[in-house]
Amino acid sequence: MKKGLLILVLGLVVATAGFASFYYLGTTSCRGMMQQPKPELAWLKQQFHLSDQEFARVSQLHDAYLPQCAARCQRIQEENAKLRDLFTQATDLTPEIQNLLAERAKMRADCEAEMMKHFLAVSRTMPPEQGRRYLAWVEQQTFLRGHEMENHHLMDAEGHMAGHHHM
Amino acid sequence: MKPNQEPENDAALQEVLREWVVDAPLPPRFQELVWQRLTQAETRPPLLTLWRSTLLALQGSLARPKLASAYMAVLLAVGVAAGSWAAQQHNSRLEASLQSRYLQSVDPYQPTAPGR
Repeated sequence: MKKGLLILVLGLVVATAGFASFYYLGTTSCRGMMQQPKPELAWLKQQFHLSDQEFARVSQLHDAYLPQCAARCQRIQEENAKLRDLFTQATDLTPEIQNLLAERAKMRADCEAEMMKHFLAVSRTMPPEQGRRYLAWVEQQTFLRGHEMENHHLMDAEGHMAGHHHM
Repeated sequence: MKPNQEPENDAALQEVLREWVVDAPLPPRFQELVWQRLTQAETRPPLLTLWRSTLLALQGSLARPKLASAYMAVLLAVGVAAGSWAAQQHNSRLEASLQSRYLQSVDPYQPTAPGR
């Protein structure tokens, strides 16, 4: 009976050891990424199979892009605040509001253009096949896939057309 | 001893049993302990009894080498499979989180995670 109990306990120990060792081995690469100074860039390196040299160049581009991006966001926020102030005081669409809207739209367009430039620069740093894959991925994941507003009207139009089909 | 002989009819055995005197002292609080064990046995929930009997049956079976080897192999396989699955889940969650972090860092139009 004691032997049976010993085997019962030993089986549980073996199962726990199997679980722990495979979990530990299976998460090694992810734990390695998390220990990097910028895990999100380490993820990019792994995802797009970058060499150390390519990764260093991508990191440089990333570090150069971020402060400029932050500055543009700051300016757009300031424009948004001004627009809110004018809108709460206005009773009609004044030329001042129209100017501010145009200025803000230009800032947003500049921001999007800089973002696209950054994506293209990053893709050029990668091997050609990975660069294409990166561009396809950012196209799906970023502002390039379209804003909620356009999607909303697209869905609306589809629903409307579906209604016509039923008639 | 003759086969199929009933002990009640064995005169010699009856004689020995009559003369047998137990002179070993009982342990302290013997009666109290007996009653305590009886009460415990009566009040033990059926699930506990079932668990205990299953455990005892399992222990008995595991003493057989073939069953013991199969048990060890199955438990090892279950542990390894569960460990691999958990690692995969962990990696998927982490990769999705890192992907979001990268996108949020380069695209200000990305929806930000709560708390950011």
